[in-house]
Amino acid sequence: MTTANTALLANAGTLAPPAHDVTVIRHTGSSRIAAAACIVLLVAMVTMPWWGQSGHIRWVVEFSVYLAIAQMWNLLAGYAGLVSVGQQAFVGVAGYTMFVLTSNFGINPFLAVWLSVLVPGLLALPTYALLHRLDGPYFAIGTWVVAEAVKLIVLNIDYVNAGSGMTLRVMSQYSLHEREVGIIWLCASMLLATVGGSYWLLRSRHGLALTAMRDNPVAAESQGVNVKRLRFLIFVAAAMGTGLAGSIYYMAQLRITPAAGFNPSWANICIFIVMVGGIGTIEGVLVGALIYFVADRFFAQYGAVYMVVLGLMTLLTALYARQGIWGLIVSRIHIPLFPVGRKLIMPSQTATGRPQ
Amino acid sequence: MKWLDALIQGVLLGGMYAQYALGMALMFGVMRIVNIAHGDLVVLLALIGITLSVAVGLGPLPLVLVLVPLAALIGWGLQKFVLNKVVGADSLPSLIATFGLSIALQNLMLEIWSADTRSMSGGGIEAASVNVGGIYIGLLPVLILIAATLLTGGLDLTMRRTRFGRALRAAAADTEAAAMTGVNPRVVYAYATAIAVGILGLSGVFFALRATVSPADGPAQLIYAFEAVIIGGMGSIWGGFVGSMVLGIAQAIGFRIDPGFGTLAGHLVFLTVLATRPQGLMSKG
Repeated sequence: MTTANTALLANAGTLAPPAHDVTVIRHTGSSRIAAAACIVLLVAMVTMPWWGQSGHIRWVVEFSVYLAIAQMWNLLAGYAGLVSVGQQAFVGVAGYTMFVLTSNFGINPFLAVWLSVLVPGLLALPTYALLHRLDGPYFAIGTWVVAEAVKLIVLNIDYVNAGSGMTLRVMSQYSLHEREVGIIWLCASMLLATVGGSYWLLRSRHGLALTAMRDNPVAAESQGVNVKRLRFLIFVAAAMGTGLAGSIYYMAQLRITPAAGFNPSWANICIFIVMVGGIGTIEGVLVGALIYFVADRFFAQYGAVYMVVLGLMTLLTALYARQGIWGLIVSRIHIPLFPVGRKLIMPSQTATGRPQ
Repeated sequence: MKWLDALIQGVLLGGMYAQYALGMALMFGVMRIVNIAHGDLVVLLALIGITLSVAVGLGPLPLVLVLVPLAALIGWGLQKFVLNKVVGADSLPSLIATFGLSIALQNLMLEIWSADTRSMSGGGIEAASVNVGGIYIGLLPVLILIAATLLTGGLDLTMRRTRFGRALRAAAADTEAAAMTGVNPRVVYAYATAIAVGILGLSGVFFALRATVSPADGPAQLIYAFEAVIIGGMGSIWGGFVGSMVLGIAQAIGFRIDPGFGTLAGHLVFLTVLATRPQGLMSKG
């Protein structure tokens, strides 16, 4: 409940201006190191086409996509309490829009990626209107059925080649190097928008509202948080972020089919990464995405056994460690990498406080 | 005649869905436990059944006698060792736990049985049909529908008339108050899940006789069971049955309109019910 208390303190602060000698701590040593590391990694990422191997660039693209869709699911399930198992609807719809815009309308593919996020945003509106009154498991199953329905509709549309899918032939007019630069820069922008955007949002004034809503939606409502509007905005934003990741992924794949684009395994990836890594934290998503990426990259060649292990890990997390692996780590050593809380230091205290 | 045929085939298809929906109505509808592995358990039992029928040469009836106790044991263990640890007001933990179990089960079955589709030979019963006024009615689907109707009626009576049924309804309504009156919710829940999964032992045999089975089929069966329970109305055992009929008929009619529209028609009917009557058709609320 410490986060709710922080929210209360901050609300009280707006009623009565704090004394001048009260300081607010928002960073720690570990978080400054993490921020610097992020900048270094981002620079390394955008320069990769000039020093890295093509195979490794594909790894970075894949990892970025997992990170982005998982963080979007983290916002949904971790903060808004909206457990969706139908995120593949937004992946597929955005991917298909990008293919149609480039192949059938001749729009530049790197521009089409950005335009394509509008369609998942639009799809999110009726989906949310239909499902928002439903609680917990109803909502989850509803999102899944919507995703299945969208998949079956796309399967029946001859304009997008029905079940046989589409190929992104336009990309052949670019050299391999040009494609790599384009895709890796798209990935960097996507990470800034999804992960960076979430971090910024959670540290902003709205972050207090989100955190309060995560801890107790009813109490948050009574404190003046517009829970309904916030949930709606998060659902639409997560749909667009997930769609962006889907467009980039299928641009790199050069091919999309209904079976792949609307595969429920997209939702599985989100759930695994967030639940095993640690729900409600950005660090948890990083940890979960790393585990999933390594498992998928290096153990998939030995058959489906790694998926059995990942499934059992999810089961064990739900049974014994609800806060995930990152939760187990922070309960032992306190090293927040992306702190979103506020720590007030009163004049009488020495500045030893640590933001949560 | 075409539409009457679709209606009859829809009802028969609904009989198959009703078997999955029955266990789901008990777990999701009454106990509010979300079991994502429900469909994978049907597939697991069907695959075990097919292997036994090939390896030992068991016929459908002896298989039922083997699979139902095995399924009940699996259900009892699932509740005792997994679900009892995650039941509560928040349904997310049970959803996530059984989601993990579902992924593990699907891939384990893929390792054991590979991705091939298989089917069970039932000594001719699976192909037998009678011609009623120009409409062919399969004997096996009729048997499935009869079994589903009897099971639903039996479970409904158990829930309403027996001590166990009262204890289960009490535990689901208010766990603590039920515990104070001498009901042990965990034990009652373990028996209830044993019943819910035990029924799947029978459905597994019917499933393997009626259609082809592959390890990846679980999620589709799960989604039909969920849809049936929600269409019918939570908390009502007959609701799951009615929901299954609605779903089966919607799919069969959709399929007659366009073969690509069958499953989609079922989903659209479900979403329509969700939008206009989220409490379900049979619910009094």
